[in-house]
Amino acid sequence: MPDPIAPGKKHHLDQVFYPKSVAVVGTTSVVGTVPYDIFANIVRDKFQGPVYPVSPGTRVIDCFKTYKYVKDISDPVDLAVVVFPSSVCHLALEQCGEIGVKAALIISAGFREVGEEGLKREQRLKAIADRYGMSFIGPNCLGVINTDPAVRLDASFARKMPIEGRIAFLSQSGALCTAVLDFAQARQIGFSKFVSFGNKADVSEIDLLYYLKDDPKTAVIVMYLEEVRDGPALMAAAQEVIRGSGKPILLIKSGRTRSGAAAAASHTGSLAGSDEVCDAALRQAGIIRCHSIQEMFDTAIAMVYQPLPKGNRVAIVTNAGGPGVLATDAAIDDGLVLAKFSDETTAKFKRFLPATANIKNPVDVIGDARADRYQVALGAAMADPGVDGAMVIVTPQSMTDLEAIADAVSQQAHHGAGKPVYASFMGEADVARGIGILQGRQVPHYAQPESMCRSFATALRFRVLREAGHAPPVTFDDVDPAKAREILAAAAGAGRTHLSEVEAEKVLAAYGLPLLASRVVASADAAAGAAAELGYPVVMKVLSEDIVHKVDVGGVVLGIDGDQAARAAFAAIMSQVAARCPDARIDGVLVQPMIVGAEEVILGLKRDASFGPVVLFGLGGTFVEILRDVSFGIAPVPADRVRAMVRETRAYPKLAGARGQKPRDIAGVEACIQRLSQLGVDCPQIKELDINPLLVLNEGEGGFVADARIML
Amino acid sequence: MDRQEIAGRVKKVIGRVLKMDPAVIGDDDNLIFDLGADSMQSVQLVASFEQEFDIEMAEDKALQVQSVSGAVDFIAGYLP
Repeated sequence: MPDPIAPGKKHHLDQVFYPKSVAVVGTTSVVGTVPYDIFANIVRDKFQGPVYPVSPGTRVIDCFKTYKYVKDISDPVDLAVVVFPSSVCHLALEQCGEIGVKAALIISAGFREVGEEGLKREQRLKAIADRYGMSFIGPNCLGVINTDPAVRLDASFARKMPIEGRIAFLSQSGALCTAVLDFAQARQIGFSKFVSFGNKADVSEIDLLYYLKDDPKTAVIVMYLEEVRDGPALMAAAQEVIRGSGKPILLIKSGRTRSGAAAAASHTGSLAGSDEVCDAALRQAGIIRCHSIQEMFDTAIAMVYQPLPKGNRVAIVTNAGGPGVLATDAAIDDGLVLAKFSDETTAKFKRFLPATANIKNPVDVIGDARADRYQVALGAAMADPGVDGAMVIVTPQSMTDLEAIADAVSQQAHHGAGKPVYASFMGEADVARGIGILQGRQVPHYAQPESMCRSFATALRFRVLREAGHAPPVTFDDVDPAKAREILAAAAGAGRTHLSEVEAEKVLAAYGLPLLASRVVASADAAAGAAAELGYPVVMKVLSEDIVHKVDVGGVVLGIDGDQAARAAFAAIMSQVAARCPDARIDGVLVQPMIVGAEEVILGLKRDASFGPVVLFGLGGTFVEILRDVSFGIAPVPADRVRAMVRETRAYPKLAGARGQKPRDIAGVEACIQRLSQLGVDCPQIKELDINPLLVLNEGEGGFVADARIML
Repeated sequence: MDRQEIAGRVKKVIGRVLKMDPAVIGDDDNLIFDLGADSMQSVQLVASFEQEFDIEMAEDKALQVQSVSGAVDFIAGYLP
């Protein structure tokens, strides 16, 4: 059933995050239970409005008069926090609707996550909410926290309310929320909003993204997702957030299974597993994918505490050579470069640092350095116009005044130079107080230089992405969707799941993909005649609906250079296929000119359950699954993503003309990707499609589809 | 035992476990939503019904009973 409320547009999320009054519906007086703790947290954390406990079995809870039903509350209720068992949540929600409550959190478990009966209960809640125009978060969630002092809402059963900050956290897992809160508390990381959205039966992560886009208290959005139900909507929301507000979105997406890929029938299907597609979709949307909580918050604090870097030239200031080298290696690996200091900066180093100091980058202020040396070195480096940001490394030695150094670094980090400063105080016990100072003053701190460099590089990439222009998908007018659909419908109507190669080529031709001339023959003599007509050398391929991988069964012969060879090739194909696939129905043999000296690439299309049509590009040939040199784009693929798809494969240097070779027709390849993207959007009947290989000729000469298959 | 007698004894048990006057308990009241039974009290109710009527009920199914009238019907199924 389609959601009658457009995602992110009309949900009553202000009432969720900024309610004027809250009713906790189904609470009890039993300490240590979810229904009680939620009520107690709201009260303990000083919600700035009235709280009404609704508890049919209790008259008073913690000196609060209780109500038997939510409808007994005579004052308006903005937000209902429903904590009843799942079997009666619908009764509570119905009453909320009757009295005009517009927002609810349904904390209770026992819905979709427990099976069919639970799903029905969840659907009943959704129907009630739709009937009354209500919005609800959950069910099966930890709750919602808003640290804004204007409201101070802790409608959760977390152990402690986090400090105020500018990071919004959204999570599909409630248990992960509590772990994240504990992790963040230890690092003095604050949050603007903290949302466990559970089964997302009504309000989803997409709605929350749209809301947070305009939330002035939020600068960075971090998110944990287990399941993407509407990939295109998620991508659209992320793009609107990033383009509209400039806020980065960091995401951990779990469930990286490859089981879906195992059953695929095509190269594309096997290469485009659910996680690879998800990865590509997130990248295309501008979402930064993280693989651990540590990595996510490493990046988040870099982005929220400090300005984004304007370039990749970093200064490293260290009191130890080894860690400086480690940081240098990590920086280079992450695409950063060590800044070359100006003469003026070098002169300052010479004047204020000891003669034994290394005044080139990384700047080694030597093991006995105290805060004054760090202050001078960091100040000079940050003032250098050739430096885009600084990374400070400190190892604890007997004379190292860690707290004073932390203070000096904090001052520099908030000096207002518009350049980021990150720090890594290496160690654990001795450096703890210095780290505490850095964390308290919102200087990004990293236990290891490697994570510091990675966070710098990620922040830089986000800045580049945010400032890059957006090139929309290219749409071609010379395509014939009706023709393609007719061929696909005819095959589907005949109960077939594969198109013949001839049919596949007709579909591709309808979308303007370049095809080689070809002839279908049924005898050795006809094969020789067709080959002579097309011009030698030629290629022959068996045509059979029952054979997907023709090479594997001896169904392909290349480099046929004369009449006699053509007859022999025909005979060889027929005998080998008969031996290896005796039950296969043979429709003939396809004869095509053989293109010599072209580069082989693969193009593909796959329909993903979450993200829809996905286009694949990569190094072609028979070993494509082994080499896995492929990239993906979600259709309709924007023109800039098409360019990136070609350039992010290892095949690209070959196409661009490596080792003195002539460059290939990359523009032609890009046009093919765009045409395929349009086909994928127009023809949802196509489940998988392979063009392997696409033969790419020299620049300006185009290319040809040499082999194609389409699965329905 | 007729249904009315079962209902009276069921309400008496509910009143005892949930600490409320049996007279205010309605036939259609939901044990959780209207009467406020929590999970522990629900288990206590099942045990008390078994004791009151000297029967042994299937606990999983008994805990799914939602209302007073549902409890009466459920218990009646165990009585001769």
